[in-house]
Amino acid sequence: MRNDLPFLDNIRKALNLPQGQERTKLTVPTLFEKPDKSATRRRIERRTYQEKQDLINIFSENCTNLGTKLHIAGSLKEAEDITVEIVRSRQPEFSYNRHIVLHDHPDIAAMQLWKRFNRESVTVHTTFSGDHETTEKTIASYIGITVPSISIAESGTLVQITSAGCPRSTSLVPSIHIALIRSETLVADLKEACCLLEDLKPEDSYVFISGPSKTADIEAHLVHGAHGPKEVHIILLKEEPQQLEPQAIQVESESPSEEKTESETPPEQACTLDDQAEETAEKS
Amino acid sequence: MSKKIESAYIEGAKKAIASPTLQKSLDNIQDRFGKGAMQLWKELEDQGMRDRVKESRMRTLAHLDIILMELAQKVRKRGGKVFFARTAEEAVAYTLEVAQKNQVKSVVKGKSMTSMEIDIDPALEKAGIEVVETDLGEYIIQLAGDTPSHIIAPCIHMDRHDIGKLFTDKLGIEPTTDPPELTMAARKALREKLLSADMGITGCNLACAETGQIALVSNEGNIRMSTTMPRIHLALMGMERVTATTDEQRETLQLLTRGAALQKLSTYVSFNGGPKKEGDPDGPEEFHLVIIDNGRSKILADLEFRESLACIRCGACLNICPVYGKIGGHAYNSTYPGPIGAVITPLLDGVNKHADLCKGETLCGACLDVCPVKNDLPRMLSALRYKLAYGDNRWNVRQHNVKEAYVYAAWQKAISHSSAYRRMIKTARLLQKPFIGKNNMIKKMAGLASGWTDDRDLPPIAQRTFSEIWDEKYAKRQQQTPAIKEETNNEK
Repeated sequence: MRNDLPFLDNIRKALNLPQGQERTKLTVPTLFEKPDKSATRRRIERRTYQEKQDLINIFSENCTNLGTKLHIAGSLKEAEDITVEIVRSRQPEFSYNRHIVLHDHPDIAAMQLWKRFNRESVTVHTTFSGDHETTEKTIASYIGITVPSISIAESGTLVQITSAGCPRSTSLVPSIHIALIRSETLVADLKEACCLLEDLKPEDSYVFISGPSKTADIEAHLVHGAHGPKEVHIILLKEEPQQLEPQAIQVESESPSEEKTESETPPEQACTLDDQAEETAEKS
Repeated sequence: MSKKIESAYIEGAKKAIASPTLQKSLDNIQDRFGKGAMQLWKELEDQGMRDRVKESRMRTLAHLDIILMELAQKVRKRGGKVFFARTAEEAVAYTLEVAQKNQVKSVVKGKSMTSMEIDIDPALEKAGIEVVETDLGEYIIQLAGDTPSHIIAPCIHMDRHDIGKLFTDKLGIEPTTDPPELTMAARKALREKLLSADMGITGCNLACAETGQIALVSNEGNIRMSTTMPRIHLALMGMERVTATTDEQRETLQLLTRGAALQKLSTYVSFNGGPKKEGDPDGPEEFHLVIIDNGRSKILADLEFRESLACIRCGACLNICPVYGKIGGHAYNSTYPGPIGAVITPLLDGVNKHADLCKGETLCGACLDVCPVKNDLPRMLSALRYKLAYGDNRWNVRQHNVKEAYVYAAWQKAISHSSAYRRMIKTARLLQKPFIGKNNMIKKMAGLASGWTDDRDLPPIAQRTFSEIWDEKYAKRQQQTPAIKEETNNEK
């Protein structure tokens, strides 16, 4: 059953519009006009190393205020150790079995967490697309690990976009949420984040997460862990300037006309490669 | 005056004032959030934001036909279903139909005022469907068989002892009055419901026509749960809760979370629209958006009140209103309490029926100052009073108090003739004598005027009016300027 026509006719009548004439968005093109975002984009792209450091400090302060625990990791190996430490030191809330669930994401896969719990009874699940038991596994897990696409300094916020290998419940149903983010994904405020979101054009749902779940419904007494995670840990992978500077110069000298965004990609890869090198070095 | 039949408003107000628990919570919430919001607006870096959002809200309302059409189209493109409900009954019937078609046995609800407005719970329960509120405050209210008394803090009229006893009775937990322990008990009980429910019903904080997604804010995570775990998600949306673009949606949400709880962002702001995508292991299989008119188009048509639809339901006006701060939410007898409720409840549900609401507010203007979109509620409250005083055809208002109207007509005549006025004052001075009590105040008046002295004493009419004193003491001196100088010198 559809009621569109009489409903909208009613509105047109209320707005005193001539009867029988349907306005469309083409009638008033300014209605859906978007403001120019080039200044915001430029601000994100041209942020200096020092400005990025400041953002991390603001982010850190806001995380503390929200009750989020922020860990800074210099490498993926360090991130791995922090994760393992959190898994070891926390107990499941709703069962006795220690299951953890990870988003299907290259940064998480690179940590190879499944290798780390040989002597303990920790079961590691990954939310691979097509696994029909993902929801069940997530409900059984006490820790969920995700890689949000954007993070916002001003409000200590993570932007988590849903996709086939990155379901919604991983950051919601387990008692503890661990988010692994790279410092490049950090922006100053919501305006910048929405600017990036517009470029990403998420087809699926997405969510802004700022701190652990909370309520103050009983006598305005703040309690963490109403329905969502009681604890949120953010592991921030920080790019090191020594690795970044020479690379950036090199790229710029090769093709000076190239856009800044592109010049930022190689150091990121370099960072990952270095981390892996470090990892293998330590293992041997 | 116990034999007089008192309105539900006055009765509710008296009950609230007599409750120390409620008074303490009201003071607490107003101290923190009301004053906090005022401070926040003062410190807001982007001072143009509130005006900008108001402008976009009004623009949206003026083009609501286009924007809703676009929204419906975008949601349908995402695979969601859109139903336009002209009345509460249509919205309830559609929701029931969706539930029954999908053999829904249990429904979890994310806090939604619109769902209360259309009164959906009884209809679902009558059809044999279990309905569970999942916002902690709403859940407590539901367990207690009560109604909420604040937009964002539904159970502020209950304290930890009330809630502890309730949980021991209903959930069978060990007696406790510790808020964290009580919260954990609810967390456990509700988790089972959230993970096993067939259908989630939520409101809609702000839809966006550009994307076809609706934004939902919560701190607890219950709304994310209700929109992620059940097979079906149905969102009830008042038809004005929409923006054209994502930019407008973002700014409006920023004002909403600031106005509501002084947060830059709520813990969760989720954007949903349409069912889960191919390959998503969770998320609803069906998404329904029910866009509800239920009297809003009538408000939209009246330029005097259209502004009230710009409201973003943050509840800031409750947190600052001196009247709400004393009488609490229940006295308003409506889904929507506080100053905003005093404007839209009469408009949605009958101006005469809710005559007390606009008359009870003080027109002090605090709600206008704190409103993130600067809605002129005092103006609309006095417009409603005007309609009650003189009657109004458009809103079907009959004169509220005919006797009062006669008295005021006579008063108007009297005060516009100075000799008549003076004579009247003289008579009144004589007549009031027997009523003046020991504290030199009038304790009780007779007849029509008795309502004025039921709850307070009135100062008597002064022995001399200001102009009489003026005449006697100062007026003459205006002609004799030196005399004034002399007197001021003496004073020195």
